[in-house]
Amino acid sequence: MYYLPYFLFAKLHQLAIDARRRTRTGRYLVYSVLAGVVAALLFAVGAAFAVLLVVVGLWWLAIPIVLFMALPPIATLAIRHVAVPLGWYRVAYYLGATFARAGKDAAAFGYVCAAWALTRRRRDRAGDAEAWLARHRDARLPLGDAEVVTTGLIAAARGDLIAARQLMASTPMIVEAHPAVRELCGEWLAVDAATRGAWAELARSAETAAFPATPLTWFLEGIAARKARVEGAPGDAELLGRWLLAPHRLTTRALLDEVRTGIVPPTPAAVPIDAPTIAEAELPPDRPPLPRAITALLAVSGDVLPTRIAFAHAVAMWDAALGDGATRAWLALRATELDAPLGAADRALREVTTMVVDDLAALADAAALGAPKAAGPVGDALARRLRHGRLDSLEAGFTRWAQRRADGAVRLAIDEWREFVALYSAYGAAVAVGGTELRRLAFQHAWTCGNKMAAWLWNARNEYALSHAISRWLYDEALAVGDTEAIDLGYRNCQLEIPTRLGRITTPIAQR
Amino acid sequence: MTATTATSDAPRPGDRIAENPFFVLALSPEATRLEIEREAQKLLGMLELGFPEAQIYATPLGSRPRSAELVRAAVAALRDPYQRLVAELWARHAPPPIAAPAVAEATTPTTDASSLRARLGWGR
Repeated sequence: MYYLPYFLFAKLHQLAIDARRRTRTGRYLVYSVLAGVVAALLFAVGAAFAVLLVVVGLWWLAIPIVLFMALPPIATLAIRHVAVPLGWYRVAYYLGATFARAGKDAAAFGYVCAAWALTRRRRDRAGDAEAWLARHRDARLPLGDAEVVTTGLIAAARGDLIAARQLMASTPMIVEAHPAVRELCGEWLAVDAATRGAWAELARSAETAAFPATPLTWFLEGIAARKARVEGAPGDAELLGRWLLAPHRLTTRALLDEVRTGIVPPTPAAVPIDAPTIAEAELPPDRPPLPRAITALLAVSGDVLPTRIAFAHAVAMWDAALGDGATRAWLALRATELDAPLGAADRALREVTTMVVDDLAALADAAALGAPKAAGPVGDALARRLRHGRLDSLEAGFTRWAQRRADGAVRLAIDEWREFVALYSAYGAAVAVGGTELRRLAFQHAWTCGNKMAAWLWNARNEYALSHAISRWLYDEALAVGDTEAIDLGYRNCQLEIPTRLGRITTPIAQR
Repeated sequence: MTATTATSDAPRPGDRIAENPFFVLALSPEATRLEIEREAQKLLGMLELGFPEAQIYATPLGSRPRSAELVRAAVAALRDPYQRLVAELWARHAPPPIAAPAVAEATTPTTDASSLRARLGWGR
């Protein structure tokens, strides 16, 4: 009876946290302040009660009171400011799984907190923590978002930030969503974007609101909106409120001051993506086409990846140079002077074309560029090379993936996920530069292999969330390319109820 | 994973020009066969004796290290009329060689990013 007000306040605290997760407007501040005040009140009541019990000599009764009344309201603070900085992964796990009131399947949050502590643990002491985490993660079946985020954090702890970023960014495809886990995932991505200076990327991500925001995420998103000059970016007062709410204020103060004073240094993302990087002024237009083409190739062959415009310029220059009568005439004359074999001039032209196409194709792949619209020996060959090369590599990847189903080679669920994410990313990169034509061609094979794998993962492996993510992606692609048969089957697959640790989930499917 | 990406082992675009026989031997594309042979012998001798000035050569992409194998390959290529024709096509029309370092010394990533990550609670 006397505990009833305490539990009501605990419920109010949880409601404020839940409400905050659904918003990114000024109400976020209100809910956060409410949650903070209620947490302080709950902690004060629990602590006072425990002290009272110690004073009256019932110290043994004070222990459960501290554990179950005083600790839960400050558990997330203890994780962030004590367990994680000290690298205490087991403490972080127990605080997250037992005391943080993370809702249904609280162990999921516990493992993510433990992985977070691993990212702060000294490298020479990280081995035992990683093995502990991997063992517990692999024992949790089927795969859910917590396993993906835990694996991403393990990769980050090893220093593999690219893999970590890819895994974290893939989490929204998993239908099982633990809000507390998603919050930390979103915060990692926001901090990662901030450390890379990718403010425009963070501002775009904030608009999609794929992850609920922690106070630190909300603050960094505000900074990103201001730096990327997004319409509706928070004003100085709101930004100050966000800063006050977020942790690590001494560190983030510099970001706040930078934005409030209006002196925003240019970031890599602020540079127009298509800005040519080569000094075209160095290429006088009166020079013959071949020297201009060689100069253009050298300009895009540096350490910095070429932009789309610089790349297209190099292709156009080579088309002009190799189609130029003067180049052919010089080659023919020089071949005669050197006493070269018959047909050497034409052979040399073909060889140079192949060399240039090889170089340009390697550059296009490295910079994820498509073949520019160009009609000429280099432009045509490059377009064919890129289309076939990308299609071939995609098809080989999907075939190998689906082959395992027949081989009976069973991998861990997280490894299946990593392979799917890698293929999904490669497919996305290829169709982004190859356009609709390549998308249609690539989809057929991806659909055949992906659908088989999704069915196998669902029926034979009971990996429902993983299977659903594949089916959902295939369905979206089927809609994009207009494949009626794939749409019908995908629609039926995506409508299935997905058993998860959080209950059976159905997802809304877009109308056809 | 089979995404088509350039691997670090693949020859970088531009290497073809940097390893052009005329640049390796520091000769103009008009050089005669005799000049080529003489220059190659001179360079091989200098490399054998460890002369520092022989150990690098200038290319349009900056200086590159020169080795005896590179010199032998260059002179062998220029003895073949067809290969000389292709080498001349590149060397004659490429921008002039420059002696500046080709590849800027690999910049060690600044600690700013990792430090900011750590100060925001997500790294060591």
